[in-house]
Amino acid sequence: MSRVMCAVFRGFACATLALTTGCATSTGINSPSSPIALASTVSISGASHARVGTTVQFVATISNSGSSAVSWQVNGVAGGSAAAGTISSGGLYTAPATLPSPNTVSVTAVSKASASASATVSEAIWNPVPIVSAATAVQTGSGSNIALDVTGSAFVQGAQIVVGGAAVPTTLVSATELRGTAGPSTGLTTLAIAVLNPNPGAASSAIGNAQIQRLQASLTAAARLLDQATFGPTLNDIQHVQQVGLDGYLTEQFAAAPTIEPDIATPPPAVCATNTILCQQSEWWRAALTGNDQLRQRVAFAFAEIFVISTNSVHAESAIPFQNMLVKDAFGNFSTLLQDMTLSTGMGAYLNMLNSAKPASGQIANENYAREAMQLFTIGLYELNQDGTPQLDGSGNRIPSYTQAQVQAFARAYTGWTYATATGGSPTTFPNNAMNFDAPMALVAAQHDTTAKTLLNGTVLPAGQTGTQDLAGALGNLFAHRNLGPFLCRQLIQHLVASNPSPAYVSRVAAVFADNGSGVRGDLKAVVRAILMDTEARAGDTDPTFEGGHLREPILYLTGVMRGLSFVNTDPTGYYGTLSNYTAPLGQKPYAAGSVFNFFPPDYAIPGTTATAPEFSIENTASTMLRLTLANSLVYNSISGFKLDLSAASALGLMAANPGNLVDSLGVIFMHGQMPAGMRSAIVNHISTLTDPAQRARVATYLTITSSLYKVEH
Amino acid sequence: MASSRRSFIKYASLAAAGNAAGLRPFGMLNSFAQAGGAGYKALVCIFLYGGNDANNMLIPFDANGYASYSKIRGPLALAQNTLLQLGSAPDFALNPNLPDIQTLFANKTAALVTNVGTLIEPTNRSQYLAGGTAPTNLFSHADQQLEWQNASPSGATTTGWAGRIADTMNLSYNPNARIPMIASVAGDTLFCDGAGSTPVSVSPGNLGGAACSEGATECAAQQATAQALLNFSSGLSLVQADNNITSNAYSYAKTLSDAVQSVSPLQTVFPTGNSLAAQLKQIAQIIEVRSALGVQRQIFFAGVGNFDTHANQIALQGALLAQIGPAMAAFYQSTVELGVQNSVTSFTMSDFSRTFQPNSNTGSDHAWGSHHIVMGGAVKGGQMYGTFPNLALAGPDDSGSNGRWIPTTASVQYASTLAQWFGVSASQLANIFPTLGSFSLNNLGFV
Repeated sequence: MSRVMCAVFRGFACATLALTTGCATSTGINSPSSPIALASTVSISGASHARVGTTVQFVATISNSGSSAVSWQVNGVAGGSAAAGTISSGGLYTAPATLPSPNTVSVTAVSKASASASATVSEAIWNPVPIVSAATAVQTGSGSNIALDVTGSAFVQGAQIVVGGAAVPTTLVSATELRGTAGPSTGLTTLAIAVLNPNPGAASSAIGNAQIQRLQASLTAAARLLDQATFGPTLNDIQHVQQVGLDGYLTEQFAAAPTIEPDIATPPPAVCATNTILCQQSEWWRAALTGNDQLRQRVAFAFAEIFVISTNSVHAESAIPFQNMLVKDAFGNFSTLLQDMTLSTGMGAYLNMLNSAKPASGQIANENYAREAMQLFTIGLYELNQDGTPQLDGSGNRIPSYTQAQVQAFARAYTGWTYATATGGSPTTFPNNAMNFDAPMALVAAQHDTTAKTLLNGTVLPAGQTGTQDLAGALGNLFAHRNLGPFLCRQLIQHLVASNPSPAYVSRVAAVFADNGSGVRGDLKAVVRAILMDTEARAGDTDPTFEGGHLREPILYLTGVMRGLSFVNTDPTGYYGTLSNYTAPLGQKPYAAGSVFNFFPPDYAIPGTTATAPEFSIENTASTMLRLTLANSLVYNSISGFKLDLSAASALGLMAANPGNLVDSLGVIFMHGQMPAGMRSAIVNHISTLTDPAQRARVATYLTITSSLYKVEH
Repeated sequence: MASSRRSFIKYASLAAAGNAAGLRPFGMLNSFAQAGGAGYKALVCIFLYGGNDANNMLIPFDANGYASYSKIRGPLALAQNTLLQLGSAPDFALNPNLPDIQTLFANKTAALVTNVGTLIEPTNRSQYLAGGTAPTNLFSHADQQLEWQNASPSGATTTGWAGRIADTMNLSYNPNARIPMIASVAGDTLFCDGAGSTPVSVSPGNLGGAACSEGATECAAQQATAQALLNFSSGLSLVQADNNITSNAYSYAKTLSDAVQSVSPLQTVFPTGNSLAAQLKQIAQIIEVRSALGVQRQIFFAGVGNFDTHANQIALQGALLAQIGPAMAAFYQSTVELGVQNSVTSFTMSDFSRTFQPNSNTGSDHAWGSHHIVMGGAVKGGQMYGTFPNLALAGPDDSGSNGRWIPTTASVQYASTLAQWFGVSASQLANIFPTLGSFSLNNLGFV
């Protein structure tokens, strides 16, 4: 029997070979005083190597003995150990789960009849054979390397991903995941992928094919763009932007049909029967959260915070067409937007160009729109350089961009406008109190001040012009002013990308405002693209510590979390307006700013610093606590009229079995895949103390969305 | 009636006020020896955002004065028989929506300071029209709000005058304070910011910490981790700024909610549906727990908006004033209830007044010098202070021809008067109010 075994197995153990051969024989001197007695000898047969976790059957043969019984040891320990492998009484050796160091162990059989008779063989422990279950190959940008992600089992330290027969740089993530980088491929649609575990016992998995997924943007770049350009990234949108690329996404969004809010029905629905603002706000939230024209909605929101009107004093019925006007004009020419905004009944009512009559004797024309249209909407208080910095006079002082007399001249230019008739025409009465909210304001010629007006840069509107001519002249005067580009672009950047854009960034965008490349001034589509694709906007895609970003204002905070977590509306009438109740304590409701200076002014500086940070003007020791309360309501599914699933059976709940996976997923949704390691481990450690998967999901989400690293979009 | 209105200079007690200010350091030391709120003082700023039309808050009531007012104001003129005459200043009357202020004035717990505004130095019409030194961006809301709040020539500073007072006084007066000297119930504003001081903000009615639904044990643990996350350095200055605010917020919320736990509710009834009343009620509740908070000196900031009445002014301003009066009266009553009425002085500020000349849209436009209300037991009430402007268009007090009055009293003098009552010493005045030296009086004597 033993002979046969010896013949069949490599590593055959026979009585007279040395240990180094893997064979062993020992001679037991049972009785040194009886030299004639024949000593018992033990020999062991069995495979000379075993892969981790596998078994080898050893057989011991005893010569010159009546008993064949042996006991087994591994590294001198009866029955072996977890570290060195275990062996059964029948000689079945089970290699350890991981490679021991050194990677050889000794297996000893001792005769039970004669303890001095034993044999030892050396057993080599080899790495396992890797098994690949799936592989992805993602190329982000043509010509760039391909990111490989291989999952399977039995991956060990030193394992390499092999692509087309050649090993590539590989990182061991875990025993079940490898990541690697392959060089760019041309023409290939699939890669042949295997995993090679190293010596000892180097072995390859079977070869499988991975489809090359060609992505145009990294996850971080895609998610960051979405944070800047939408009301909040979703996993689907991130994947989509990765596929179509940043520029491709912008092109798609420029073409997307505008989401137009419906007028409030007459009579209004029950939910807003006594306060139509509720329905107006409901429509706004719905469009922001669910509109497919996310970029358009987001840019319109930025304009709504520059050209501020407020339902605190304006009819909700005017706010809806105002919003629709911003949405329609967001990607057109600024001159169109300026004219439509000026003649809207919303702005007309808010800043009193509506019903501003030709001044009678002893009166002056209403200066409200004239002043704020310059100070806040177009040119600002000071003459500017193209980079947005103030020009200085010879004494180093800023130079006012207009005088009180010019305010009064514009005020007279804007006189004579009131509500249009039901069919959009000019009424015969002034003011016309039959309110047509939807149509632009209409001129009543007799109420227009026809005296001459001296505007900016020496422009004179001659006496005797019509109200329409004066309006065109006044708005044209503002549109041509060189402050307009830097003044407006800096604010758009602040709303979309960063509170403190560099002068160079402002200058680059302002140059596009001045000329879109085809000689057109005021092309907002070109401006929006320039803002979002600027190197300064994109720097954070690869450098998470790049100084920039802005605090998420309460509205964007709420929409960001709700879109990221896939809240769904459950109100039986589809009412979204409850959401205003959650941002109001934080100082914000859509179209309800406290004044034309918006919820926060563009030049607000954080106390004790000179850092501009507009949104911080409503971030204080009271509002931060209230935002924590809002975060609690969100994760606890307490938003009235909406439902969030963070149960154990939800996507995040299912991930909660592995806290790291859960937190990583939250890092993708909320932090562009850039959650710092220290933050990740703090949250992982915290939720690892919890056992309920739903609670893990809630608490991990809460800790993520309440961190300043999330609150400050960057 | 284009001749000058009567002057109401009430500076007779100036010398005494100056002496008192000079003696305050000793008074301060004495006050420390006293227990509880005996040495306590608080200033309460009520900011009327948008530019309150003071021309329709305080109105000439004598026959000639009213006639001239009525003629120029035209559609904005309030009917004389609706006005509330001031008993101790019978040539003047208040807006019909301010009966509470009329009563407070009659009881000598309120005073009026007239034609106050931002100034860098004393300025008259000819100096102004000749291009003399004027505050930056007159007639701009944002700038004039900031300049009232920072008492500086331009809005572009990082500190406000209350913040600078806190920088100067907090360590000596509030050595054991558990919250900052300044508390705002209307958001953080420049007024409240010092070089080394930031305010505690309180949302009226939401004094305590954040809600948490995870149960006491996990909520405590969750908060501990959330606070630990604030300590990570990200290298991003905005993240750091938010970390700082949030860290302070956790601390202040605990302090305030602990302090109010065992306190009995105020008996004073504040008007409901009145934003200013809700803010002032919150201030009164904080004053009530001043001992637990460890503060001997506090400055509060409250604010109410929508005074920018370019149209429909009479109705809009009337509704606003109808909220201000009852809110202030209730607040005064609450200080009486708390026994601190002589220790709490309230005062109004606003961007600017409005054009005396009406616009063609039933409103008025941005102007300059304005009238203000001060209220409290320490106020030498029932009097008007400063110089009432000559209400002639293009007259000696007009900066142009629309009735935008050049202030005859600087806002920095107004602020300085309040600051001296509060305990700012004479030697500290120049640091806190850098333009004060341009004016001959640093104390208007109204408190």
